[in-house]
Amino acid sequence: MDAQSYHPVSPGVGTEENFLSLDDILLSHQRHPVRTECAFPRLGFLDRSSDSEDLPEGTKMELPLWLSKGLYERKRRVLSVELPKVYKEGWRTVFTADPNVVNLHKMGPYYYGLGSQMLHFDSPENPDIAQTLLQTFIGRFRRVMDSSQNAYNEDTSTLVERLDCLEKALFRSGQSGLNGFQSWEKGRASQLTASSLVINYRKRKMADVQA
Amino acid sequence: MDPSEVEFLAEKELVKIVPNFSLDKIYLIGGDLGPFNPGLPVDVPLWLALNFKQRQKCRIIPPDWMDVEKLEEIRELEKREEAFTPVPSPYYMELTKLLLNHASDNIPKADEIRTLVKDIWDTRIAKLRLSADSFISQQEAHAKLDNLTLLEINTIREFLLNSLNCMFKLRSNLQAGSSGRTFTDY
Amino acid sequence: MSEAAFDDSEINQEDDSQEDVMTPAELIAKLEEAWLNEKFSPELQENKSEVVECVMEQLTHMESNLQRVKKGDTKASIHRMEVDRIRFVLTSYLRSRLQKIEKFFPHVLEREKSRADGEPSLLSPEEFAFAKEYYDNTEAYLKAVALKRMPPNLQSIDMLKAVPEPCLDSFVFLRVKEKQENILIEPETDDQREYVVDLEEGSQHLMRYRTIAPLISNGAVKLI
Repeated sequence: MDAQSYHPVSPGVGTEENFLSLDDILLSHQRHPVRTECAFPRLGFLDRSSDSEDLPEGTKMELPLWLSKGLYERKRRVLSVELPKVYKEGWRTVFTADPNVVNLHKMGPYYYGLGSQMLHFDSPENPDIAQTLLQTFIGRFRRVMDSSQNAYNEDTSTLVERLDCLEKALFRSGQSGLNGFQSWEKGRASQLTASSLVINYRKRKMADVQA
Repeated sequence: MDPSEVEFLAEKELVKIVPNFSLDKIYLIGGDLGPFNPGLPVDVPLWLALNFKQRQKCRIIPPDWMDVEKLEEIRELEKREEAFTPVPSPYYMELTKLLLNHASDNIPKADEIRTLVKDIWDTRIAKLRLSADSFISQQEAHAKLDNLTLLEINTIREFLLNSLNCMFKLRSNLQAGSSGRTFTDY
Repeated sequence: MSEAAFDDSEINQEDDSQEDVMTPAELIAKLEEAWLNEKFSPELQENKSEVVECVMEQLTHMESNLQRVKKGDTKASIHRMEVDRIRFVLTSYLRSRLQKIEKFFPHVLEREKSRADGEPSLLSPEEFAFAKEYYDNTEAYLKAVALKRMPPNLQSIDMLKAVPEPCLDSFVFLRVKEKQENILIEPETDDQREYVVDLEEGSQHLMRYRTIAPLISNGAVKLI
């Protein structure tokens, strides 16, 4: 029964991020390659390979997403962002051919999340990236559904090891539907489960009385 | 929703019992029941029927459809048809489970019935997954799902709705990619 | 046990929607529908304080009658079982509302703030107090554990932005109670076109919550 008192905030998915979602916080720490297009005074510490105080124009380095999003400006070219290779055309072709062969955990594990976030940076490839993300999700849906709805009481680690984080969360919700039904059918959840809440209610009331 | 909550709803379905005691009419909040006379069939909600049964105060008459021949027909139809066929009760699975677990001595050929109902269930769940997959891959906006029961919907609800949400957000990327969007700033 | 005690088969219900008399059975059916609608809808539904109050009245009345009955009375035990079942639905209903309030508290309060005079409130007075307290506690907690250690310009947090809004574009399963014609279905992709569907009485559908949200509050459809 759904009596949890803590509900974690789910990731925003797409271009939005949820401020209090742990997944989105981890996602924002994903690093990707950038190149500075102007000098950034006093930000030299960002480039660990140099010890100058300023960050000169033309520096190539990797930045976490939260920082690159913060420094990036749409109007003025101060930072150019290179796409991680999994979103580049070569990989997009692979996804179009058969999205199921790709190990998205290895290539991600925030394949959809990071891909959507990359759309914040202007690029002529953006429409193609967005399209590939959507089609990959649709193309892999059947497999995620079947594996999550068929695997009862078995080790699921091999089933999820190739899934992206988002797919893994879906897999888990499929599993919870299946497990809920199976244990109901076996009678584990049967017989006045309803009253367990009433019992808790009475317990609480008793505790109030005793307090 | 938890399956036990669906079962809770199923327990409101009326079943016929043959009591072995007498009792006047009872005026429950949800409606009147009885009077109860030994040997005279009377309709009561399943939760009460099961309670009487456990206290050996009645015999439960299984619903008409809980019958091997009828269920075989339903099973064949379900396998033949592409769409979901009408079910004998919106709570056929829950009623079968509850009655077979608690009153199997009142139900002829209980084991066969259990297998048949499970077959029907499996066929329908397979169809449900097929429709879910096509709903997603065609990116449909509306589906008619007549004859689907609450317990069936429940097995796939969270998974399907979460997936549709993800898909919706990934689709809104298509617009976001082109237009100049601002960053969310907290 | 006196039969008369259980014989008040009708209660009067003064409702704006011209429902003059509702039987207790209808009242319970209303509660169950509100319960399922609340469980399955992505956003908080209008509060049903009047239903909750009437059900509470029924339960209290029945329970006080039951106290006068000696132990072991068959009828009384049946009444008790029924009371427990109704209480379960009632508490589960109220709990699912509280869960949603916890999940969307800034938005729930915002909607309450911008509510026009005369428009019915989403929250019952108790729920409103709960939401406000939850807001204050969350804010105080975040301040205590983190924000007060931040530089002064970063010490505030916009709860409306930080807490995700309910997603009205979620899909829901529903059953039609009263036939509806010409419901507009928006296209999902660029190469689809919008179309209209008729929702026949008794039929079941999977569609976006946003499309049918008004039909839930007027009782034409119910979520399943």
